[in-house]
Amino acid sequence: MQVSFKNICIAVSIFFTLILFIAISSLFVVPKPHDVIMALRTPEMVYSLKLSVLTALMATTCAISMAIPIGYALSKGSFRGKGIVKSIVDLPMAFPELVLGLALLLLFGNTAIGKIIEAMGIRIVFTKAGVVVAQFFTGLPYAVRILCSTFNSINPRYELVSRSLGYGEFETFKNVTLPLAKNGIFAATIITFARCIGAFGAVLILAGGSYMKTEILPITLYLNISYGNIGMAISSGIVLILISFLAIATFEWLERGNVY
Amino acid sequence: MFIKIVHLSIDLKDFQLRNVNLDIEKGDYVVIIGPTGSGKSVILETIAGFYTPEAGKIILEGQDITHFPPEKRNMSIVYQDYMLFPHMTVYENIAYGLKKTSDKDHIEKEVKTIASLLKIEHLLHRLPGTLSGGECQRTAIARALVVKPRLLLMDEPFSALDIKTKKELRQLVKTALKEYQTTTIHITHDLDDVWHLATKVVMIRKGRVLQIGPPEHIFTNPTDDFVANFVGANRS
Repeated sequence: MQVSFKNICIAVSIFFTLILFIAISSLFVVPKPHDVIMALRTPEMVYSLKLSVLTALMATTCAISMAIPIGYALSKGSFRGKGIVKSIVDLPMAFPELVLGLALLLLFGNTAIGKIIEAMGIRIVFTKAGVVVAQFFTGLPYAVRILCSTFNSINPRYELVSRSLGYGEFETFKNVTLPLAKNGIFAATIITFARCIGAFGAVLILAGGSYMKTEILPITLYLNISYGNIGMAISSGIVLILISFLAIATFEWLERGNVY
Repeated sequence: MFIKIVHLSIDLKDFQLRNVNLDIEKGDYVVIIGPTGSGKSVILETIAGFYTPEAGKIILEGQDITHFPPEKRNMSIVYQDYMLFPHMTVYENIAYGLKKTSDKDHIEKEVKTIASLLKIEHLLHRLPGTLSGGECQRTAIARALVVKPRLLLMDEPFSALDIKTKKELRQLVKTALKEYQTTTIHITHDLDDVWHLATKVVMIRKGRVLQIGPPEHIFTNPTDDFVANFVGANRS
């Protein structure tokens, strides 16, 4: 067989996929299925799963609602400082989540913004609201990036035709751009949800890792590893993997079905 | 004068349109010709309101519309690549521009009339993704004409079509424009479009207008060698 560059690339990709697959599979192989099921039924796991899904849904909804105008502005808008806005929005993807958590803790704890929000009766630091806020800022850059490239891929002439037929900017966005971006919005929602439900560092710093208070699945994993309760830790890991797998599979399916 | 373009200049960083002057009478079929990158589409999209000119004016029926947004100009645009909304049926695409101003019965009547004129009434329930190039372009023209625009702008509408479809569509467009009495600006590099449709020709190169006149005049009296070479005429 001829050793071509393409074959070498295929071999490298298969090798590392295999290692990753073995690492993930070991989570499913090490514990006994009975122990996993028992762990999933404990009050701690039920609480953690419910809180994770609820906060991730709220954070995803907020992130997508904000990412649509931000992504549209970065894609179609032309304004001074656009490059800086893009870099700052992307920044949380590049630095550790713990740093993001620390920055949010300082913002909501020590600054005027934090004090104004607290004066309005909303407490962010070490509360469930803090979980949502931390997840929101963790997921937002991913949502913005996906939506920005979605809007980039839509031919601007669709909007020009709609405008020429009597529709203003917002009506055109609602009638033409949003329906054309449908698949991208779904994809962004799924990836953002997966990112939110898996957020750990930022949640730990901003909302704290309090047992059955601000305990979401990654915190459950962390707390149980700390106590030496490996079964519970692995069970929460399995739940997180299953959620991520479902998200990625749906994302791939939507990408293949992109008809526009 | 129906439409008057006075000293129009636009700067798009990598392209400049300089001092374009053009007078169009009601009912004219103006064809703008020129090589690729000469600024034909920029002129069209500036008239449509998609670019703001640095200098100059666009006067439509005595009204200065230079700074009007596209939705306030009552001009329709047809592109080479159709730009049919893929999530709407042919019927919904054609009805789109009427939905803002008309009731359901009026929309249905108008859509059926134009669909019959352009021979696409059997396609009304279909999605654009299932149509041929000629069917897509007929739908795009129907969508543009059904709103009875003051000015129809067409950017190389027949370029993506085969010779037979092109010929049929030219005839259909001619009939439809006569019926709707629409003034038209059409961009092309196909001289057949000039011969079959134009009442006035504008020759443009590198953002500058080189010659304006009736087709016979451009072909028989080109002002310079470039125009002569482009239209394949001999310069006397």
